[in-house]
This record gives sequence, structure tokens and C-alpha cells, in this order.
Amino acid sequence: MKLSVSVLYALLASQPDADEATAAQPDASSAATDGDAATDVASPTEDPPAAEPEVRTPAAESSPAVSPEPEPEPEPILDSERYTVAGGPDGPPFYDDADTASLRARHEIEVEPLERTEGPRWRCLIADPACGRSVEVNALAAYSFRGRQGDVSGGGNDPRWHSGRAQYDVWLNFPVMTEVVGNKKFTRMTLAPKGGLIASDGGSTWGNLGMAFRYWLGRGRWAPAVEFTSALSFKLGENARGMDNERGDWTMTRGPVGFTADVGFGLGGFGSIVVGGQYDSPFAREEISDEYRTAAGGAFFIGFRGNILWGGPAAAAVATHAVTQRSVQTP
Amino acid sequence: MYPRTQSDLVSPTVSAFALSSLLAASPAAEPADDTDLVEVSEDDVDEYGPFFVEEAPSDIEFLAQPRPRTLPVLSVGNGSFCFVEGTFCKASMILSADIGAGIRAPASDEGPDIPYAQFTFRGGFTVRPAMIRPNRSRRKSWGAWGFGLLSSWSRGTGSITQRGDAQSQEVDSTDSTTVFRIAAVNQMWLSKRNHAAHLDFTFGGARSDVLTSGEKLWGTHAELAMGFGGWGGMFLSGDFLDRDTRVVLGFRGHGIAAGPIVAMALAGLAAGGAL
Repeated sequence: MKLSVSVLYALLASQPDADEATAAQPDASSAATDGDAATDVASPTEDPPAAEPEVRTPAAESSPAVSPEPEPEPEPILDSERYTVAGGPDGPPFYDDADTASLRARHEIEVEPLERTEGPRWRCLIADPACGRSVEVNALAAYSFRGRQGDVSGGGNDPRWHSGRAQYDVWLNFPVMTEVVGNKKFTRMTLAPKGGLIASDGGSTWGNLGMAFRYWLGRGRWAPAVEFTSALSFKLGENARGMDNERGDWTMTRGPVGFTADVGFGLGGFGSIVVGGQYDSPFAREEISDEYRTAAGGAFFIGFRGNILWGGPAAAAVATHAVTQRSVQTP
Repeated sequence: MYPRTQSDLVSPTVSAFALSSLLAASPAAEPADDTDLVEVSEDDVDEYGPFFVEEAPSDIEFLAQPRPRTLPVLSVGNGSFCFVEGTFCKASMILSADIGAGIRAPASDEGPDIPYAQFTFRGGFTVRPAMIRPNRSRRKSWGAWGFGLLSSWSRGTGSITQRGDAQSQEVDSTDSTTVFRIAAVNQMWLSKRNHAAHLDFTFGGARSDVLTSGEKLWGTHAELAMGFGGWGGMFLSGDFLDRDTRVVLGFRGHGIAAGPIVAMALAGLAAGGAL
């Protein structure tokens, strides 16, 4: 009888799911009528699971150096102790509103998240938190305070002057951080390459290529955003000047690679107030003749940058560009 | 000696008794699931393999997620030709503008290395010769390989040459450098997402001013670029001519995006009287 209890314990431990038991029922029923077959059916229990306590491995038997420690005696259960099992609900859900509230509080999930139903404008050609990858064209119109470092051989000539700045850029936007509300995804942060042209007085034109970063502070169409861009900048051309500083034709002009960076605070993809600066590296190699050398220069600027699809930012940038050419005399 | 199996311990009668007791407590068998008998059309049989696996579906999507398109953006002929390169385009037009900066390295006896910058207009076309459709019921086909022909025109900054020694040095310069290129491009598309990233390997010839010689010669042009769909990308490009090497890093935008920028810049310069 002790053996049959052991077999029953092993069978219970290895009992498959109800479906499997159901599927195996016809074969097992026939096996119950045949002694040899019954032995075969019981054979899956030849390798009982780890829960089988009675089977000891020979390896454990053959290691006399390790003596098993005696198991601690269980504490006796006093007659005065009583245990009760709390009854749960008969079926799902097995949680209530209090449990849901506790889970939300633990993971800082908004109780009633702000739902947004309206889509973006211009099929994401204007930046929007509801968009994933997108492309946009931005134009900047800004006041600029420019300066140029003097040549030490020229008596410390160090001109600084007020000017304007126009910048036209293509931005790619890749969502690098998103948030999910319900079954909708919203972009929280974008980071992607950008490039374009920069213009200032005297026909000065630079190219720039770098990265544009935008962090959305909301999910609405007019959500505020913080922007940060940094890029390599390099001179492409300017108006040549004659002996009497007379303006000549616009020509290609070489210059080492400098950099430009700015920070913007904006609303939606409409536009942003931008503060930034630029540095032009000097071309001052010793092997180069003096006539080809250029001095270090730079600028600080503050202005407005917006998507050209709105119209206003594009008009403002072109107007700033034109007015700067006509009204600013490059020192 | 330890028993090796449970069957060594148990007589057949005992084990049969235990087994029959357990089976008697099992639920009755349920009827077979009808879903096993769904008829599958030949058109819905998916091929198997890496080229046929589509992007995994997601339960969440952007609010501005475009509706599933059967045709690529700005395409004609059921996606046979796209005006903006796309992941599922069979053939595409290339039209872009770019700016880049780097270095101009003449031969050592022609003077020192100097900064170099250029702007470029580029045109051409690409085809995807080996596109595979997952099954007959789906219209989108995809292939990783693209091939095309390109031509570009650049205006770059001028050259400076300094020949001779310190006592008798000959210095010369030019205002600008003009480059015309024709090349073949091999593309490798990296995913099946819309506007997917792709690597472009371009090799061809470049005809350009060589230093301050006033001569135009043919040289080699090579470029490695990463594009994002057809809308833009970054590249590392080089023109290798006789005694005159130029290498630039640049940013490229499709004509739809770069065109307004060029127009605004020219308008600003023209309105300001700088041209």
C-alpha cells in the first residue's frame, strides 16, 4: 500500500493539463484493461520531477564527506491558533477601482489623460507632437551683433557692428522619445540632421549642417517646445570689395569650418524665439600668403524662427536678408 | 540498491488502479475546434524568408499615422515611378541640392591644404531591380537593392597654389571651382518602414578645374551617403583629380525642400542688391 501511495503521488505531480488529459483519455482507458500496457502508460513517471523526495541520487549517496544537516523541527501548532482563508470573487475581474488607483499612483499614470483628437496641419510638414518622422523647412529672421577679431599686426583693429541674420534650413525630425496615451503615440523628443544657408550683410553666405533637437512640453497642436540646434558653419561666398571698400560681385569665398548653435522657445510648429551665436574660424596658416588669410569672427543673434508654410516666417526672413544688404555697411 | 524507475516499484495492477482513478476525475472530451478547418486560399499563402517578412504590427500608432497606403507618396503608375524616393518605389527620380564643407588637398609641391566648401545640384534616377512581393494579395513589393545613374553640378571655393621655395615663390589662386559629375549609385535599403534609411554608394567620374591650372580634367568621384527616404541625408564625398583632391561632408535635401531655400536665399540677395 505504501508503494501505491508513492505512485499516486508521482502521477499527480506529473498530471498534464485538463486538455491533455482529455486527449489522452481513450488510450489510457484501454490501457487500464491490460496489465502490461498499464506499465507502459506509467512509464512517463520514470523521471519524476524534482518534487519527488524519495528518490535520492547515487552521487549524493557516495559523498560521505558532506553530511546533511538535520532539518529544524517545525514549530508545533497551538490549539489556540486559528487560520481563515479570505474568500475572493468568483470570477474576473479580480481587481477593483481601488487597486487600479493604487497601480496608477505607483507608476505615476494620469487618472484622466488629456485626449487629443485633431490631427496635425499640413500632413506633418509643420512639426507636431502627433507626428512621427517628418521634414520641415524653417526660416529665421534675427537681429545680429557681429564682430571680427583684429590682426595683431594691424594695431588692434577689432570691428563690431549691428546687422541682421537670415537663415533657411531643412530639418528632419526623428522621434527619439515618445509617450503613449491610450492607443496613440505622441512624440516627446526629436533629434535629426538639419542643414541650410545663413546670410548676413555684405552678401555673406554660410552653409551649415548639424543636428536639430526639439522637446515637446505638451501633446497639443500648440504645445510649447524647447529647441536646440548646433551645426558646423562654413563660408560659401560674399560680395567682393574693392580698394575703396566698394561692393563688388558676389563670389565664392573660402573659410575654415566654424560652428553655430542656438536655443529656441516655441509654440507648436508655428515658430519660436531663438537666441544663438556663431563662430568663424580664422584661416591663418603660416604657409598661406597674407592676402588669403581671414580673421576670426562671430555673431550673437536673437530673432524669430518659423515654418515657411505659415508664410510669415519666410517673408520676414527674406525681408531681413534684403534690408541687411542695403542698410548695413560691412566694416 | 535504489529503484531506477517507478515501474520497478509498482505492480501493474496497482498502477492501473491509480491511473483509472485519475482518469475518472478528468472532464469529458470537448468537440474539435472548427477553426482547424478554415480553408486557405492560394493567394494568401505567404512565402517564408527574410525578404518576405513585413514590419511587425503594433497596437499603438501616432495620432498622425498616415492611412495604410497602397501607393508611395508622389508616385505614378501604381508606384512604378516616384518623384520622391520611397521604400516601396520601383523607380524614383533623384532631384536634390546639398551643401558641404571639407578640405582641398593639392599635391605637396602645389601648396598647403586649404578649406573647401561647395553647393551642389543633383539629378538622376534609381530603379529597384529585385523587388519581391510577399504574396499575390498584397500590392507592396520591396527589395533591399537599388541602382541608378546620377549627374551633379557643383560650385566650390577657389584654389590657392604656392610653388617654389621661400626665395622665389609663385602664388596663384582662383575664385571658384566648378565640378560636373556622372556616376552610378548602388543603394542598400535598411528597412521596410516608410521613408526608410538607406546607404548609397556612388562611384563615377568628375570633370573639374584642377587647382589654378585653368585646365579641366576628368577624375574619380566617390561618395558614401545615408539617406532617409528621398527627403534628405548626409554624405561624405570626394573628388580625386590629378594633383587635386577634395573631400567634403555635407547635408542633402530633396528639391521640394531645398528649392524654397534656394529661392528665398536668391530673393534676399537680389532684393538687397547683392547680386
